[in-house]
Amino acid sequence: MNTNKNVKFVATPQLKNGTCTVFLRGEFDLSVAPDFRELIEPFVGDDKVNLVLNLKELTYIDSTGIGILLSILKVRNGMEANFLVQEVPDQIQKLFDMTGIAKFFAAQ
Amino acid sequence: MKDEVQRVVISLPATAEYVDIVRLNLYGIASKMGFTYEEIEDMKVAVSEACNNSVLYAYKQGQGVMEVTFEVVAEVLSITVRDNGESFESWGEAGERVTMHDKELDDVQVGGLGFYLMQALMDDVSVVNEAGQGTKVIMTRRLMKTEETV
Repeated sequence: MNTNKNVKFVATPQLKNGTCTVFLRGEFDLSVAPDFRELIEPFVGDDKVNLVLNLKELTYIDSTGIGILLSILKVRNGMEANFLVQEVPDQIQKLFDMTGIAKFFAAQ
Repeated sequence: MKDEVQRVVISLPATAEYVDIVRLNLYGIASKMGFTYEEIEDMKVAVSEACNNSVLYAYKQGQGVMEVTFEVVAEVLSITVRDNGESFESWGEAGERVTMHDKELDDVQVGGLGFYLMQALMDDVSVVNEAGQGTKVIMTRRLMKTEETV
């Protein structure tokens, strides 16, 4: 089933004027977590860029996905660098609110 | 007739790549029953978390199987996710998992949100761990009739 992985979830980074915006599309779950970690790692570790996730086309996220966002928040916070989300769909915002991760995005 | 149980059982490899198949089946059954889009999205998250648990913790060595049973009885959808692996001990006594609401970022632990989400998104959740017999998570959600329905 590995060949279907990329169809299900796509993360596309775009660098522009010191801001890295990563556009997420599809379902962000346990099965795509390792690939996503690998893709985002170099940007997370770079305190020169503003890191933004655009979630407009994200249709699903599970606790694994939320856990990854949380670990990115922790790393970026420790480096005094920002990490923002934009265009969050209602259903996903609901999960951010329920778990409490929403306040860390709001606090920046 | 109306209280007759209608049952759908699927058996899948307990790997992360198959959890979306469970969501697709859930979508089909829940929409047939008349659940709203938002209710189905809630259930998708809850059921996936139960499957994730089987994938991550049940089978430490080798491949295992997870079995998902959907039961429709009188406007109630009950979903059971069962594996035959080792139990994930912290689930049984997890009780209410804490969220991040009262915490600072430095104090938050990554993980442990899955169980909380299941409880928050379903009407009832129970976890049965039996020594040597794997884990069974049973979740139910009742169909809310809209006022317009005659």
